[in-house]
Amino acid sequence: MTASTLPEAALGVLPRADGSAKYSHAGYTVTASVNGPIEAQRRDEHPYEAHVDVIVRPAAGVGGTRERHLESILQSSLTQIILVKNFPRSLIQVVLQVEDTPENDYVNTKLVQASLNFAIMPALFQTSVLALLSAGVPMRATAAATAVAVVPEDGAKKIVVDPSPRQIEIAQSVHVLAFTSQEELLLAESEGDFTVKEWDDVYETAQKICCRPASTKEGMEMVLDEEDAGGPDMRHFLRSTLESKVTADLHWK
Amino acid sequence: MATERPLVLPGDVIPPSLIPTSANPNKKQQPLRLGPGLRHIPPSDIVPTVAGQLITVPHKNSMWVEYNSSRYTPTPSDLVIATISRSGPDFYYASLSPYTANATLPHLSFEGATKKTRPQLPPGSLVYARVTLANKHMDPEIECVSSATGKADGLGPLKDGMVFDISLGFARRLLMARSKEEGKVEVLELLGEEGLAFETAVGRNGKVWVSGASDAKGNEGVNAKTVVVVGRALQETDTKRLGVEQQRKLVKKLVREMR
Repeated sequence: MTASTLPEAALGVLPRADGSAKYSHAGYTVTASVNGPIEAQRRDEHPYEAHVDVIVRPAAGVGGTRERHLESILQSSLTQIILVKNFPRSLIQVVLQVEDTPENDYVNTKLVQASLNFAIMPALFQTSVLALLSAGVPMRATAAATAVAVVPEDGAKKIVVDPSPRQIEIAQSVHVLAFTSQEELLLAESEGDFTVKEWDDVYETAQKICCRPASTKEGMEMVLDEEDAGGPDMRHFLRSTLESKVTADLHWK
Repeated sequence: MATERPLVLPGDVIPPSLIPTSANPNKKQQPLRLGPGLRHIPPSDIVPTVAGQLITVPHKNSMWVEYNSSRYTPTPSDLVIATISRSGPDFYYASLSPYTANATLPHLSFEGATKKTRPQLPPGSLVYARVTLANKHMDPEIECVSSATGKADGLGPLKDGMVFDISLGFARRLLMARSKEEGKVEVLELLGEEGLAFETAVGRNGKVWVSGASDAKGNEGVNAKTVVVVGRALQETDTKRLGVEQQRKLVKKLVREMR
């Protein structure tokens, strides 16, 4: 799979859940359901804010330590953008089912060292944000995430957006960054060897993808298409996906 | 009504030109009223919290975000259909939506109820009620009588019939005073024109109760076919997002299948 494919998304795919979304990009397909705010279990109950419960189910087999790690990262970043203080003592449940990955999940990949599956993070993150928006859960801002790898190439280092599994194998460092729609850094996870300069480059590339200035005025469509900034425009994608959902919901207006 | 209805996402900046200001100098300055989906961050920021269309009504000095969802959050003075889950010493515990904390319904908040004459409601029975207290830190409270007049005003236990789930946006449209013009739902009127006799009660919590009335020939009791047809018509109008013309076709089709 190449990174050039555009992201695709559908909202409200699961009729029984409060909100749901299906998202596919860079070879990953993830379906998410969101339920909430619902009554929390006694042990998850917090007197002043909602508990955000994230469950990640892999494409094959049952979840393990790797999934727990992804869940904990997603949980802390989603808690930041959901207005958890609006729903004390309740639970907002996000279930993410990975459906398709570019690597072969059926091969028994016993990891020598526990490492984060960086390439899947953006897909998981985007799907949960879309599902939360579809459920109408009050949020502080929307957010988008992207994975960036620093790959050595002919002696020089190249920044690759949405790296393939092969590129991650040879990469010197892999990073996942998420930004809110207010251009605040929400999540930054890195792995491997890198310098401060490299990280700054990675940060700039990721910010370009997540928060490309949206042309809010109608009739002034994205002009940046010709000059590819190295990756899809996540903010514009989010807005157009939601726009079609909202116009369909409010067809009677 | 405002003509411009921009799409807003959580955290978007609302252009100041869209925020209504009380321009009429004759009237007393009305405070700006924020409806669902908006959040005020002091001193002067108004930020949307959900994705939807921003609606502003300048002459009422109010604004809100119109959106559709399926999880009900109680708001005072909403009409809801609640299911009794159990009875306590002074209250019934009633469920407004699945997997949420129960609302309390005092035994005495029915029309003409006293300790001895209060309605006995077994678990599972339905009531049409009004939300009196909704607060994020407390469980909601509902009542089946207007506390000001002591009259039921159509609230109270719902006997027979069946409850159908609908989306919150559709419930809102059905409850509009002029649901035909503003909400573009005509399906109930059309079913009535086809000669079906039924009663409905719409709950803001995404539930609609349908019961068949005794028909012209004096056949008492619930006509199950009518109830199912009305419920299906409502659910299909909601999920398939039918316009007025398509509603007409749907009603024709369902009534033909029924007979």
